[in-house]
Amino acid sequence: MGETDVLGSHTVSEAEIVAFARKYDPQPFHTDPEAARATIFGGLIASGWHTCAIMMRLSVEAMQREQAVGTGSPGVDSCRWLKPVRPGDTLTLRREILETWPSRFKPHGFVRSRAEMLNQHGEIVLSLVGVGMFRRRAEETA
Amino acid sequence: MSDLVYFEDIEIGEVHRFGRYEVTREEIVEYAGQFDPQPFHLDEDAAKQSMFGGLVASGWHTGAMLMRMICDHAIPGAATTGALGFDDLKWLKPVRPGDVLSVETRITEKIESRSRRDVGVVKIESRVLGQHGHAVMTLTSLVLYRRRPPA
Repeated sequence: MGETDVLGSHTVSEAEIVAFARKYDPQPFHTDPEAARATIFGGLIASGWHTCAIMMRLSVEAMQREQAVGTGSPGVDSCRWLKPVRPGDTLTLRREILETWPSRFKPHGFVRSRAEMLNQHGEIVLSLVGVGMFRRRAEETA
Repeated sequence: MSDLVYFEDIEIGEVHRFGRYEVTREEIVEYAGQFDPQPFHLDEDAAKQSMFGGLVASGWHTGAMLMRMICDHAIPGAATTGALGFDDLKWLKPVRPGDVLSVETRITEKIESRSRRDVGVVKIESRVLGQHGHAVMTLTSLVLYRRRPPA
């Protein structure tokens, strides 16, 4: 509890930003570098849902390294897109465990954690508090 | 420009229903392969062994599908300029191949920005519905709307 870990990082390309946005968030500031220049963002930025997706990818890779078995999630308490994510940004995932508790009826437990994505300047671009479900070790549920 | 819906034009309690998104197995697996490679999103056999009993979409994929429906149906004509984020996201039911999703939104609150006079924050509760009308996901978005320019 209270432990903070750096779980991985990913550099976001313009092609990735555009491909995600064309499919799921086709607004000019996510899909068109030219049109994006004229918006309040002053250039192409990633969809917030794309930043969340990259966060999930880094989380799953960390779970696989840690041999944790995720069994889903009931939801997210809060998510804030604090700064724009731009092509070439390198995002690093930092996670702090806030709370853990066992599930009463199944061999699962809940973990509430804060996930923060930082860019290469150390600015927090995404801050999220969510709950994940994980399988418990056999001896803990026996 | 004059027919755009600005911050001032929005009324608390307004309800809108829109969208139709057919969820395919291919898209579930494609999204999961890229962003959420857990067995119950990727592999039918592994998913059958899981508590979901079959392949289910990543919850983040459902969020992305919601965003697509919002882009297609709610943003055109609205003076929105992005979002700050969301609160209280709940993944209530699994989303499976063949499901057809739609959206119901309700305006719950309007907040004038202290720091910026050109925008306001509108809290919008979105319910993503399955084809039987049951909510599969709910959340409350904090959407930035531009203020109506002085005449």
